[in-house]
Amino acid sequence: MTRAAALDSVMRTLADPTRRAVFERIVKSDEISVVDLTQGSGVTQGAISQHLRSLKLAGLIVDRAQGRNVFYRAEPKGLAPLVDWMGHYGVFWRERFANLRTVLKEIDK
Amino acid sequence: MKDTAAEAQTREIIVDEVFPHAPETLWKTLTNGELMARWLMAPTGFEAVKGARFTFQTTPGGAWDGVIHCHVLEAIPNQRLVYAWQGGHPENIGYGAPLDTVVTWSLSRVAGGTRLRLVHSGFSSPSNDSAYKTMGDGWKKVVEKVAAISAEDKEAPSAGETK
Repeated sequence: MTRAAALDSVMRTLADPTRRAVFERIVKSDEISVVDLTQGSGVTQGAISQHLRSLKLAGLIVDRAQGRNVFYRAEPKGLAPLVDWMGHYGVFWRERFANLRTVLKEIDK
Repeated sequence: MKDTAAEAQTREIIVDEVFPHAPETLWKTLTNGELMARWLMAPTGFEAVKGARFTFQTTPGGAWDGVIHCHVLEAIPNQRLVYAWQGGHPENIGYGAPLDTVVTWSLSRVAGGTRLRLVHSGFSSPSNDSAYKTMGDGWKKVVEKVAAISAEDKEAPSAGETK
């Protein structure tokens, strides 16, 4: 998939407000089951499952089966096409400052 | 530099922290290739001399080869280091889109150490800005959160890998 196609797929998947709400709830929790996602969502479990399939197809979430339950979590890489340079470097520099602190501690003894 | 019209269209990232080390030690860490490799990325051809050209190899994206092209704009030992930071490709959106920015490091001695201020400036409104607007503001927050998660995800110091 080209970058433009990847962006298109992510955008299309998240254009649906209900699906986006489902995705946001998954992002906010470490891992969440269909049952928990359905609670308080105002839509049926069947509809939630449908949205989960779309999100999974777009590479935005991954699932993990445990016994009879399936747990969902966000796949950060799925959003890569949407992250602009500024978002990228915002994270990048914070990380590098932490590295810098470590290196300085080591060399300045 | 102080063109208000230009400022309105570009944005910057600022990180400002105090380190318990002398400015000289920080300067060395910011300008020694081997040390840079340990906390930033391994530069090719770096010299803390005005006009020096150097590159960093980062993760390629789409039509972009992942090379960051830099050149030193200003180098005042123990005080200030400024370099241009350019890359990207016009065919790309988001990561890998054209990038023409400036990285400024300012060092100042403070009680108990050195204040280090990084300003990464010149980010123009990204080409996917309209996409962001369509998604609404709540969406931006999610992206930020996820960006933070992905940063934790790849603990390894090498900026090169993934895909």
